[in-house]
Amino acid sequence: MDRFFDAVASPLTGRALILALVALPFLAALALPLLGRAARRVALVVALLHLGLTAAVVFFASIQISARAELAGAVRDQAALRFQPGYVPGDTAGRHGEDNRTGWTLMSLAPPSPGGKAGPAVQFFLGVDGLNLWLAALASVMLLPAILVSWDAVTDRPGAFYGWLFLLQGAAVGAFLSFDVILFYAFFELTLIPAFFLIGRWGTGSARRDAARKFFLYTLAGSLLTLVGVIGVVLTNPDPVTGRVTFSLPDLMGNVSFYLDQAHQEALAGRGEKLAALQQTQGFLFLALMAGFLVKVPVWPFHTWLPAAYSEAPIGVTILLSALLAKLGTFGIIRFVLPLTPDAAVMYGLPVVGLLAAFGIVYGALCAYDQKDMRLTVAYSSVSHLGFLVLGIFAFNAEGLSGATLHMVNHGLSTGAMFALLGFLLDRYRTTQAGRFGGLMGRFPNYAVFFFLVALAGIGLPGLNNFVSEMLMLAGLFAARDGGAPGYGLAVVAAVGIFLSAWYVLTMLRRVFFNPLREPEPADAAVRPADVTRREFFAFGIPAGLCVVLGLFPQPVLDTIKPDVTVLTKVGEAARARVAGVPVPAEPESPPPPKAPAPKPKDKKETPKKVNPKKDAPKKDGKNPKGGEEDEG
Amino acid sequence: MNPLSDPQLQQTFTGVFRLVVPEIALLGTACAAVLLGCFRNGRGLWFAVSLLGVAGAAVLAATVDQPAPPLPTAASIVPDAAAGFVRWLALAAAAALLFLSWPEVDDRTAAEYYGCLLVATAGVSLVGRANDLVTLFLALELISIPTYVLLYLPARTRVNQEAAAKYFLLSVMSSAVLLFGFSYLYGMTGSTNLTAVTAALARANAEALSPLALVGAVLVVAAVGFRITAVPFHFYAPDVYQGGPAGVVANLAVLPKVAGFAALARVLGLFGPDARSLPFDTATQLPLLLWILAVLTMTLGNVLALLQDDVRRMLAYSGVAHGGYMLMGVVVASALPDVRGAGPTVGGVEALFVYLAAYALMTLGAFAVVLYLSTPDRPVEAIDDLGGVGQTHPVAAGAMAMSLFSLIGLPLTAGFAGKLLLFVGAFTAPADTAAMRNLYRVLVVVAAVNAAVGAYYYLRVVGVMYLRSPLRPLDGSRSRPTLAAAVVLAAGTLVLGVYPQPLVTAARQAAPASGPPAGATAEAKSP
Repeated sequence: MDRFFDAVASPLTGRALILALVALPFLAALALPLLGRAARRVALVVALLHLGLTAAVVFFASIQISARAELAGAVRDQAALRFQPGYVPGDTAGRHGEDNRTGWTLMSLAPPSPGGKAGPAVQFFLGVDGLNLWLAALASVMLLPAILVSWDAVTDRPGAFYGWLFLLQGAAVGAFLSFDVILFYAFFELTLIPAFFLIGRWGTGSARRDAARKFFLYTLAGSLLTLVGVIGVVLTNPDPVTGRVTFSLPDLMGNVSFYLDQAHQEALAGRGEKLAALQQTQGFLFLALMAGFLVKVPVWPFHTWLPAAYSEAPIGVTILLSALLAKLGTFGIIRFVLPLTPDAAVMYGLPVVGLLAAFGIVYGALCAYDQKDMRLTVAYSSVSHLGFLVLGIFAFNAEGLSGATLHMVNHGLSTGAMFALLGFLLDRYRTTQAGRFGGLMGRFPNYAVFFFLVALAGIGLPGLNNFVSEMLMLAGLFAARDGGAPGYGLAVVAAVGIFLSAWYVLTMLRRVFFNPLREPEPADAAVRPADVTRREFFAFGIPAGLCVVLGLFPQPVLDTIKPDVTVLTKVGEAARARVAGVPVPAEPESPPPPKAPAPKPKDKKETPKKVNPKKDAPKKDGKNPKGGEEDEG
Repeated sequence: MNPLSDPQLQQTFTGVFRLVVPEIALLGTACAAVLLGCFRNGRGLWFAVSLLGVAGAAVLAATVDQPAPPLPTAASIVPDAAAGFVRWLALAAAAALLFLSWPEVDDRTAAEYYGCLLVATAGVSLVGRANDLVTLFLALELISIPTYVLLYLPARTRVNQEAAAKYFLLSVMSSAVLLFGFSYLYGMTGSTNLTAVTAALARANAEALSPLALVGAVLVVAAVGFRITAVPFHFYAPDVYQGGPAGVVANLAVLPKVAGFAALARVLGLFGPDARSLPFDTATQLPLLLWILAVLTMTLGNVLALLQDDVRRMLAYSGVAHGGYMLMGVVVASALPDVRGAGPTVGGVEALFVYLAAYALMTLGAFAVVLYLSTPDRPVEAIDDLGGVGQTHPVAAGAMAMSLFSLIGLPLTAGFAGKLLLFVGAFTAPADTAAMRNLYRVLVVVAAVNAAVGAYYYLRVVGVMYLRSPLRPLDGSRSRPTLAAAVVLAAGTLVLGVYPQPLVTAARQAAPASGPPAGATAEAKSP
């Protein structure tokens, strides 16, 4: 049995799985347009197949990552401050070894140097780590409701529709799994083409063409600046030894922290010009990098494409847009902005971007309250929640980052499910105007159960998924080492945002589900709309069920996320020390492994502990919830 | 000894013909077409003959061995790697143009049409290898003169004639300016040989910058600016593109641009064996001039393209904008006195080559679709004419969309690979002064913003093709060769976008070594 397991879990299998995970949607996208009406069945089968592959990857990778996490306790030098993608197809260590880099080159920018070492090259560098594993899984899961909701709704050229849908998913999965900066960018922009056609061609509203164009152009404009930023980062951080530039993210991280570290030492010795210059460069690069991600998330005031795109797109596409594409923005921030421009992220993250995000939280919430159309309510609530997510990211500490990473998955599930549920009404009444409904509770009792569950998950009811991640992010904002006041202020705004979200969601529930029964004319006058069908049961049940599961048992996910969040946390601590002009605090890293878990371990644990007091006994490090604040000095 | 009896000199002179065998084959085919066309004219016949001519030239180019002339300072033709790249690009473009112009060639003028096309191709190829001011000028005229004929051949309407006349007059003027600039270069150095001119100017630069040399350079840039539609010299482009026959316009959009950039690079010494010894000021003046030209060209081109409702005018301005992007490569190359370490180094010329190839692919692809969808009674003029093409002509629309996405510069298209290299090149440009260095980064940002602006009007076409329903469906000319060309070009765009390595390698080998070469070091370091 063990031998069998070892064989199956070998790196080779993992690599094949990773490749299949990216390749399958692209193949499906090529094949589906050739099919006619049968396309939807084939699409469902392929989506299930993809889900199976994802399950296998999650199973093996989470074991591998957890194993690495234990190992990582021992290795903690500066060199370890980089992501460690596992299951890299084309790993240079050969068939069975793993050295976490790939040999598959797409475009080399310079000839191999005389020494025979490959020149700088854009590589086909995929892999999994704790940060992207669950997002890739999310991309796989959320395709199912998207297909199921479109089942009857899409009658016009279904083959092409599902083909584009798979292309969208494939590009998103590819972007999540990329560890080469240019490859990421390629996948990131590739999402635009399917989204453009899906919104413009199959959209439901009359303004769908404008919505599609706006979405495309806004995102492209931002992401071109991101490309400039990426190139800037790559070129300003060549390998310190060989002088070669690299497009590989882990290597770049290492180079960035090497240069910063060096400059920091000099600055501590009294020569601060180099560090100042580096930080100034970082400031510009931060702005350029953030441009694309701010639009993609979107953070106020770059959100104006969102309401149009979300409300004009066919509902199945809206599910993918809200669950996956918005996450590409926040994922990009975690994956690229934080490790590549850490000092600027500390300097401008909370004070500038955080301010925008905080404003967006309140603004989005108020807009959501004011909408007549429930789709727009959910769309604006997305702006509000994602602002919170951005705050959590820029808290740049263990709680904030693990909360944010988890919240990406949670928000994807709950918002995606919410849009899927609105698809129920669209199928039956062709409208989601809140004012035209009332008393649906008695009319569709099963539907009401799903709707309540997902809505309550969205507003962060304890026991459901968003609660865990929102509490973690709040804790991140309150952590004292951020320098206090701005963090507290933003945390208060974020908390108000949660309250506001409860307000508008519950208001919507009251109007639509209680009160006397009111329903608009059904789409098909001959048929009296029925409650949740079997197809819809799965469409709603899968994400809703996962909302519950992740609410009750977040720990496995948090465990997988932890090693990479720890890496980022260390990057953040070093950056904070540089910005403050003090030496990097030595204790935060050394104590935990050698000493007993006494002094340090609070930051990560304090929240999960209080988050779900009832369920998780298994939480290992849940001691000492107090005193996260003082030891930093 | 009498220098004229120097065996090396004789060898240099007599060896010239060997270096231009493929061009001679092209010109021979063209002559045959024009002469024999009087007796028997016909589209199919001369199409086949021309295609054979291009194929023969390609075979000759691949097989005939090309020894470098022993005395480069006397040779009027140099067969360096850059010349080879330009030749292959020209031949490939000519083959594509033969196919895509099929529907607009009529039986009475077929021989002349194809003959002129081949002559222009030979001209482009010669520009790439000209090492003498006179040869260069003649090669450029070899492109211009057949183009006048091509524009006049089907000129039946006033718009046609206006286009032809406009192009003729401005082209003649640019030739005059070019000659004026050449006269300065000759006057200062006493030679028309580019190797000699470059060497003399580089030597002179080491002591003091010569203002006269700069005047010469400015005049050359102005004259070539006409061919690459750089901004103050772009005025003819939209009118000619709108009025000229689509196949000729496709030719105009690609061949003169390739030739113009090749000529610019030759005169500015960018194709020289050593990328570090440049004949003109490399610190600020000339790069700054080109910088301003690049920024103006891409910005104005893109902004004006936003306002166009006519597909061809839009493509004309888009061509202007892309000329601006490609000028980035020249800017970078013209300021490359020194490369630090074994670092990144995407040379300007290398990026320029990749972008030229990508540009040729995507622009020809777009024009091929326009040609395919046009019929004499119902030409594709307004962008709205393309409404619903996605449903009525899925293949053509797909090819068009691919070309447009490539023009936008989306990943997985050749256009993206080109832009990426240009951006990387500009970012790594090791300029002499701190001021210039920041300007390069600004240039990249300007280009990125421009690319975003450009996306607007390209996307508009995609939107019209796919998101509108056809009101008056186009018939399409049913010209199979054109459609085949469109599909092949679009496929090439995609393939080179997904795996750009072959193109990048070819361009790198063609560009002069930008890494630290064996000999040149300290002395060439600063001008």
